[in-house]
Amino acid sequence: MVFGVLQFPGSCDERDALAACERVAEARLIWHEETDLDGVDAVVVPGGFSYGDYLRAGAIARFAPAMEAVARFAAKGGPVLGICNGFQVLCEAGLLPGALLPNALLRFHFRQAELEVAGGCDWTAGIDPGERLSIPTKHMSGRFFAPDDELDRLEAGGQVVLRYASGSNPNGSLRDIAGVANEAGNVMGLMPHPEHAVDPLTGSADGLRLFAAVASRSPAAA
Amino acid sequence: MVELEAEDSEQLPDLCEKLLANPLIEDYEILELSA
Repeated sequence: MVFGVLQFPGSCDERDALAACERVAEARLIWHEETDLDGVDAVVVPGGFSYGDYLRAGAIARFAPAMEAVARFAAKGGPVLGICNGFQVLCEAGLLPGALLPNALLRFHFRQAELEVAGGCDWTAGIDPGERLSIPTKHMSGRFFAPDDELDRLEAGGQVVLRYASGSNPNGSLRDIAGVANEAGNVMGLMPHPEHAVDPLTGSADGLRLFAAVASRSPAAA
Repeated sequence: MVELEAEDSEQLPDLCEKLLANPLIEDYEILELSA
């Protein structure tokens, strides 16, 4: 089982994402110019400030050669996780629905978040709906938005995977949405940073469960 | 505001829709400036 962690100019959380993946499987970095994902079983699009958030967070990264390869990988059912800026990239690339707007209070937010699992996908396999995960958040533009009819469709289709627990929405995300998946359930994006919650030493190891969920599904783990 | 030089102004709506703007969350207006 090999995780591939993308690295764009301006990424800053790819090293922690790599370390998180390495706790459950093998992992390697994928430079933004690479187009060959042979041997990669799952992809993580990490947090940070890819291309300096120029134009709009994720707007440039979506055109990276590596993202073209990720789109092909996702179309074949490969698991893809977008974390924070990675979530923004996946939305800009059309691999996930919706968009991320500036936080409602227009302030950078950095706080541990209490999340509630609301639905299932490849990255939450084995985690029951209703379970709580404690995972840190740090972002300026994390307010999830989609038109009402799209939100209704996402809810009905089980594509809302994570919500901020009652009273702990840090950014004004509609319907307290913290993470969504695509229809097939193999692509997931979330604003919180599971790669920063993989060891009790830092307060919570709940984030490791997302990486372990995919690692446990790989043929190599069978 | 994004300033561009474009040889063909008819390309501008496509540029906006597919590259410069996210129509889900952004409106845009194209202003053509004379040389």
